[in-house]
Amino acid sequence: MSSAAPAPSPAPAPSSNEGRPVGELVVALGALALGLYTVVGSFGIAVPSSASVMGPRAFPVAVGLLLVAAAGLVLAGLARGRRGEAEGGEDVDPGVRDDWRTTALVVAAFVAHLALIEVVGWAFAAAVLFGGTAWALGARPWWRGPLLGLVLGLVVQLVFAAGLGVTLPPGPLLDLVPVLNGRGPGG
Amino acid sequence: MAPVGDVGALLDGFAAAAQPQFLLYALIGVFLGTAVGVLPGIGPAMAIALLLPLTYTLEPQAALIVFAGIYYGGMYGGSTTSILLNTPGESASIITALEGNRMARAGRGAAALATAAIGSFVAGTIATVLLTLLAPTVARLAVRLGPADYFALIVVAFVTVGALLGSSVPRGLVSLGAGLFLGLVGTDTLTGQQRFTLGLPSFADGIDVVIVAVGLFAVGEALHTATRMRHGPVRVIPVTGSWRTWLTGDDLRRSWRPWLRGAAIGFPIGSIPAGGADVATFLSYSAERRLSRRKEEFGHGAIEGVAGPEAANNAAAAGVLVPLLTLGLPTTATAAVILVAFQAYGIQPGPQLFGSEGPLVWALIASLYIGNVMLLVLNLPLIGLWVKVLQIPRHYLYAGILLFAALGSYALNFLVADVVVLLAIGALGLLMRRYGYPVAPLVVALILGPMAEEQLRRELAISQGDLTSLVTSPFAAAAYLLLVGLVVASLWLRRRQRRAEAELAALLDEAPRPVPTS
Repeated sequence: MSSAAPAPSPAPAPSSNEGRPVGELVVALGALALGLYTVVGSFGIAVPSSASVMGPRAFPVAVGLLLVAAAGLVLAGLARGRRGEAEGGEDVDPGVRDDWRTTALVVAAFVAHLALIEVVGWAFAAAVLFGGTAWALGARPWWRGPLLGLVLGLVVQLVFAAGLGVTLPPGPLLDLVPVLNGRGPGG
Repeated sequence: MAPVGDVGALLDGFAAAAQPQFLLYALIGVFLGTAVGVLPGIGPAMAIALLLPLTYTLEPQAALIVFAGIYYGGMYGGSTTSILLNTPGESASIITALEGNRMARAGRGAAALATAAIGSFVAGTIATVLLTLLAPTVARLAVRLGPADYFALIVVAFVTVGALLGSSVPRGLVSLGAGLFLGLVGTDTLTGQQRFTLGLPSFADGIDVVIVAVGLFAVGEALHTATRMRHGPVRVIPVTGSWRTWLTGDDLRRSWRPWLRGAAIGFPIGSIPAGGADVATFLSYSAERRLSRRKEEFGHGAIEGVAGPEAANNAAAAGVLVPLLTLGLPTTATAAVILVAFQAYGIQPGPQLFGSEGPLVWALIASLYIGNVMLLVLNLPLIGLWVKVLQIPRHYLYAGILLFAALGSYALNFLVADVVVLLAIGALGLLMRRYGYPVAPLVVALILGPMAEEQLRRELAISQGDLTSLVTSPFAAAAYLLLVGLVVASLWLRRRQRRAEAELAALLDEAPRPVPTS
């Protein structure tokens, strides 16, 4: 899990940990807001007369206070320049600037996928997610990702239908294929 | 010591697990686990979370045997990745793997892989024996624990996982609090009141732990990698020679003591609720370095620095199963996901488990032994295959991870709403990783939070609101004392770790650093 990196890279790599900690501030304030919401929201929980010594409110209040206190400590640390250390990984390059554009493209592919599942069918929505993500992450030529995604999606759909007896949404196109539409042969 | 009856039960377990179809399931488990574990960026927790939906059609016994295989296999696969991939990560758990990476670059990759594999087997088997001996006894004692005792144990787990393990105490606590909050969402079990559901019907039964686990580990990791992806070709260090001659006599002489020491360090640390494999590998590494007569080799590929920590890692993984199976307490993120897998089959780990589901548990433990042997036999000869897996282009790898994550959460209930929640949790995971919040406390708190509240309320109902009853039970009092001891010990450890890391960083700076290819 995440822990302190052994040492800063000797090469002066551009790091987004320089400059003002806007992102960190937003996340810490978000945690603070969640804590406050939890405390305030606890008092909106109805307490039935059957409740014993400790009702349904006390624990949520404690959780909210923990969040407020912990977020406060993070904010206090930030004010004194204690920044969070981004988690490393085999495919994470610690020496580059954050590329939020790529991340946004991947999220967009994901959103398109979940919006399309029940419209065009799971396999085609899978092609959108796989192809979009692969392209955003640098796969070229552009058509190879969606093609692989479609093959993968069709295989999964077939395995689910034939092997597990579970029907993923076939969509209008595959609805004509007996195995995939969940209605059995000729249905 | 285990009574004779346990030996008989274990033998029955072996008889069950040795049936051809269960052997096949164990083989599938270790194979899938290793394959997924070899993939960079996928740890054992994510491997189990991603493969969870595939097992829904299996019967419980078969599914648990598959999971046992995935659990051990994922660990094996992970060490292969860190030894052969030319991009050492930055997190502390990989410090030890760096040693193997240095060996590989010096042309001794085969020896590093072999000592890791055999060490994992030796330590894994020793630890599984200890698990076999210890677990039934712990379960028998645990039957007598009251709600206050359980609450104390959970508090110990919260503090160690949330505050003591990460690099930043406040961030660990925020992660813990966020997990506790997500655990609150749903219907209160004691009074039937809805809490924090925002009036949405899909939250009335709570947020599915599988979705949270897959979202944090798979989607969060993929999005985090997308923000800072390492581009360019994947560089795998070539392994030369036949696997039969990988470990020379000298290597073996230098390895066997670290293997045993690793097992001795790993198992106890894994089995107390004090946080899993990272601590164990680090302790083993620094112990080997202190005991070695060739200190100058550390940081440049000392075989002891691979053998010890890899053994400790596997022994800790088996140790984690002790509190999980006997108390129902997951103390690592991976254990939390395994608990979810149990619950998916309506099985609640805890003191009753060895009584109510005896044959099932013993078959599971037997399959841990069998899986360990299979891994040893499979992995060295199959190294060529794992090298190919390592070379999967990263854009397709992460596209595939996202696709199977989306599939897994959709296949739970066939609701698009679940996939929306998955993406939201994934975005949370991205922010947490990016800004240094550990994700393990969130998953552990999500599972233990509702248990903690239930035990607390039960205790206060029994004692009619007397708060002192929480600490007056001898067991609970001992647990809180242990906690104080752990806090003191971790402060000391943290100082040591910082010093060790500084020394290691100095060593690494002398050696040539990998050149970024972008």
